[in-house]
Amino acid sequence: MKKRATTSASAGRQRLDNLAGYLFISPWLFGFLALTVIPIIASIFLSFTNYDILSPPRWVGLQNFKKMFFEDPRYWKSVRATLYYALTAVPLRLIVALSVAMLLNTSRRGVALYRALFYVPSVVGDSVAVAVMWRQIFGGDGLVNAFLRLFGLPGKRLWLADPQFAIWTLILLAAWQFGSAMLIFLAGLKQIPYELYESADIDGAGPVRKFFSITIPQLTPIIFFNLVMQTINGLIVFTPALIITNGGPLDTTNFYALYLYKRGFENFQMGYASAMAWILMLVTALLTLVIFKTSSRWVFYESEVK
Amino acid sequence: MKRKLISLLCLALIALAGAFGQTKKVELKFAWWGSQVRHEATIKVIELYQKLHPNVSISYEFAGFDDYWMKMTTMAAGGQLPDIMQQDYSRITEWQSRNLLEPLDPFVQNKTINLSDVAKPILDSGTINGKLYAISAGSNSYAMMLDVDAFKKAGIPLPSQDWTWDEFEKIALQLHEKLGIYGIGGGFEVDELAWKANYLSDGQFLYSADGKSLAYKDDALLVNFLKMLQRLIKAGAAPTYQEYMSSFGGATGNVQMDAIVTGKSAIEAVWSNQVVTVATAAGPGRNFAVVHIPRHKKTGLPGNFLKPSMFLSITSQSKNKEEAAKFIDFWTNSVEANLILNAERGVPISAKVREALKQTVSPINKVVFEYMDRVAKDAAPTPPPEPARHAEIRANVYVPLIREQVFYGVLTPEEAAKQLRIQATEILKRP
Amino acid sequence: MKAQSTAHRVSRTLLFHVFTAACGLLMVYPILWLAGSSLKGPSEIWRKVYSLFPEHPTLENYINGWKGFGGVSFTVYYRNSLVYTVLATAFTIVSSAVVAFGFARIRFKGKNFLFACMLVTMMIPPQILIIPQYIVFSKLGWVNTYLPLIVPRLFGQAFFIFMFVQFMRGIPLELDEAAQIDGCSRGRIFWSVHLPLMKPALFTGSIFSFYWTWNDFFAPLIYLNNPKRYTLSVALRSFSDPSGLTDWGAIFAMSFLSLIPVIVLFIAFQRFLVQGIATTGLKG
Repeated sequence: MKKRATTSASAGRQRLDNLAGYLFISPWLFGFLALTVIPIIASIFLSFTNYDILSPPRWVGLQNFKKMFFEDPRYWKSVRATLYYALTAVPLRLIVALSVAMLLNTSRRGVALYRALFYVPSVVGDSVAVAVMWRQIFGGDGLVNAFLRLFGLPGKRLWLADPQFAIWTLILLAAWQFGSAMLIFLAGLKQIPYELYESADIDGAGPVRKFFSITIPQLTPIIFFNLVMQTINGLIVFTPALIITNGGPLDTTNFYALYLYKRGFENFQMGYASAMAWILMLVTALLTLVIFKTSSRWVFYESEVK
Repeated sequence: MKRKLISLLCLALIALAGAFGQTKKVELKFAWWGSQVRHEATIKVIELYQKLHPNVSISYEFAGFDDYWMKMTTMAAGGQLPDIMQQDYSRITEWQSRNLLEPLDPFVQNKTINLSDVAKPILDSGTINGKLYAISAGSNSYAMMLDVDAFKKAGIPLPSQDWTWDEFEKIALQLHEKLGIYGIGGGFEVDELAWKANYLSDGQFLYSADGKSLAYKDDALLVNFLKMLQRLIKAGAAPTYQEYMSSFGGATGNVQMDAIVTGKSAIEAVWSNQVVTVATAAGPGRNFAVVHIPRHKKTGLPGNFLKPSMFLSITSQSKNKEEAAKFIDFWTNSVEANLILNAERGVPISAKVREALKQTVSPINKVVFEYMDRVAKDAAPTPPPEPARHAEIRANVYVPLIREQVFYGVLTPEEAAKQLRIQATEILKRP
Repeated sequence: MKAQSTAHRVSRTLLFHVFTAACGLLMVYPILWLAGSSLKGPSEIWRKVYSLFPEHPTLENYINGWKGFGGVSFTVYYRNSLVYTVLATAFTIVSSAVVAFGFARIRFKGKNFLFACMLVTMMIPPQILIIPQYIVFSKLGWVNTYLPLIVPRLFGQAFFIFMFVQFMRGIPLELDEAAQIDGCSRGRIFWSVHLPLMKPALFTGSIFSFYWTWNDFFAPLIYLNNPKRYTLSVALRSFSDPSGLTDWGAIFAMSFLSLIPVIVLFIAFQRFLVQGIATTGLKG
């Protein structure tokens, strides 16, 4: 008797929860259905056509995928470049961002100024000026070579034109613009309840132990968020390569999204570009899924709503 | 009540006046790419046209080159193309083949666009399958720009207009030996020079008339040319590809940062409408001359031809084609408009306008005008606009193979030329 | 003993400042260079590219650049960008926070599926959606207005929804329960429990949204056809044309000016970023 009452009460509550849930997410849901779904479906359809933007699409079946996987060596080059970038730039940026966030998470004087200094590079974004700045730094007589010469090293390398190193200039750009990840880490650090540290102090824990037993676990939801977002952004990286190297030299920075863009908008092969986009999306989704699946083992939530 | 009635009447009157005004006013839209100088001049010409034709209102938009094409492509997909669209020589076939451009012959026949002062080769460049689709917004030609002072300092006489590739190589080497700078600056391997010009000066076109195959028979010319460049690079008379690409000019394609601007090279291959830009960037006190692209034989043709720097065309999505044609006529024949445009898009195509402008242009612009006069008499024949797939061949075959792999030493010129032929043929053959 | 520890502390503080300042300077070097170059005259700008300090500082670039194109000056572009960015940011943050609360704190049918859908929308290369989206907006008749840029912001943005969800999950559930026992509705819990605790995240989000919108040029480029409506980011790109005469000095000057609002905003919001839970009174 009692049991039935609770189940019907909980069913009623669940109905209410459903309503409330959909009410809260309704803005996003509406936008998704009205503005996003149609273009997405359209681009799935287009990946099976020879759509050239300027004339109506014609169905070609799996031809785009076949060409991509088996007949286009530049495609695989772009895959390699993108993975290389994502695997280096993402961890690098996260480590730098977290270290600086820790460094700046003090109440020392001048911290506000430092925070601004470290953040400013991220503000310049991907403007035309950044491209010129970066060329200047990595040019023959640029800052990097001048620096190397200062230490007696042969500073003559032309970094941006060197197939081995050009990609590293972009990786360094990513590391340099770590500001957004840093800010998210900072906000996360600020959210950690102070009492935890106080009671750890009472227990006589040192800074290292506090870092590993309080800071890191408490920060895992934010680390998780940054990891997922940076991975996604690393895989669809586009603008830096467009404005700084334009994919060269020898296609070593011809990132996936850039190559896709060139195919679509420069060669009018939007069908092919759509096919590329969907493969990229599948791979990204798979990777994200892996991160999500492992997250239950290492991400610690203060609150768990199942 | 009465007041209400009056206000209602007023409203109706205003609406009527509005409607009346609207039926009379023609709305045109014009889009172009360019930089600040061009935007300024073009907007002034539009304002002038509106003043002369009060019934026409022209809205306009502009962007940088890449942004422009991205935008136009998107607009084409949405059926929102402007009436008048600036077109590019290397892309026009692509657009025409999708029926996005309006043939202009009817407007030429009914004299809406008066082309009586325009030479035929100039019109040919905008003619596809016998129909005129675009009118040159200014004539252009590839050219060798020479730093006169550097030549003087080296004690080398300026080359003649009919110089050959052999002479070119010798002079570039000498300049390097005497001055320690590059004989020729970067960008020399671009398709215009190594590929097109090279075959043009032998009387051959790159593509067949139907655009389905390559027209040139032998790879030897291209191979020899690339080998000559490799010799120049080895001798230090030309920058390595790496040096060029890591320089500002090389990476951005921005001529005003080319080596000749900073005095690091004595010769530079540029478009004739860029000569003024380079000279301006080099600053006052420098002297430049402009000569033809070299030939294979003294008696043969130079490698350059009379090319439209860009076109004006009317899109098939336009609702006011007749009025758009009137504007193009104004653009082509009005001296006043061209005084404002100041040949920034190339030398005006109307002989009358050209003569009128010659009196007023700056000394360096005069060098360009004189060069273009010579080109009009002595140039390779103008090839038909490139086939629609040229852009694809350039981006996916020519640049990776010739521009990169040859100069990074991955491929020999012979291998690259062979591969180029195979891959380009494949793309052209595709239905 | 005490003196020693004070000395120790002083030296540690000194080390902190020297190290952080050195890194900070390295970080801003490119921006200093941008500022320096914007003050160089045309004869200097490409000849002495590497020097930070102009030999003959001039404001010429700022004057020329500000003029803009054909009588539409940067005042207009600046104003357009400000209005657009402020509106878009406000919409994005508010709607994203609301949606995030739904995802983070309420159990409802289909939640996981919809959340996955939302994440997936971030994984599609945006370049591929440009054309289909343009066609949708042109069918709606929204081209050449700010609607395609602003209206989607009313529906939240996946990045911020995800970010806020992660922050909300860091807020102890007990707080919700306590509020519920006090008779608070979900709206109340969201408004008076979560939002105050999320202040650092909300302000961080606002900063991101602001400068991403401020810098974004793709959408404004495509949807705005009238130069009078161009945003700063689009106008900046209209200066340069590889085949023509590009006024690089003006580009540098205007680029530098375009950084200022974002930096000002950052400094203004800084105060809120440092307010952690400790200062917003979780203890009570």
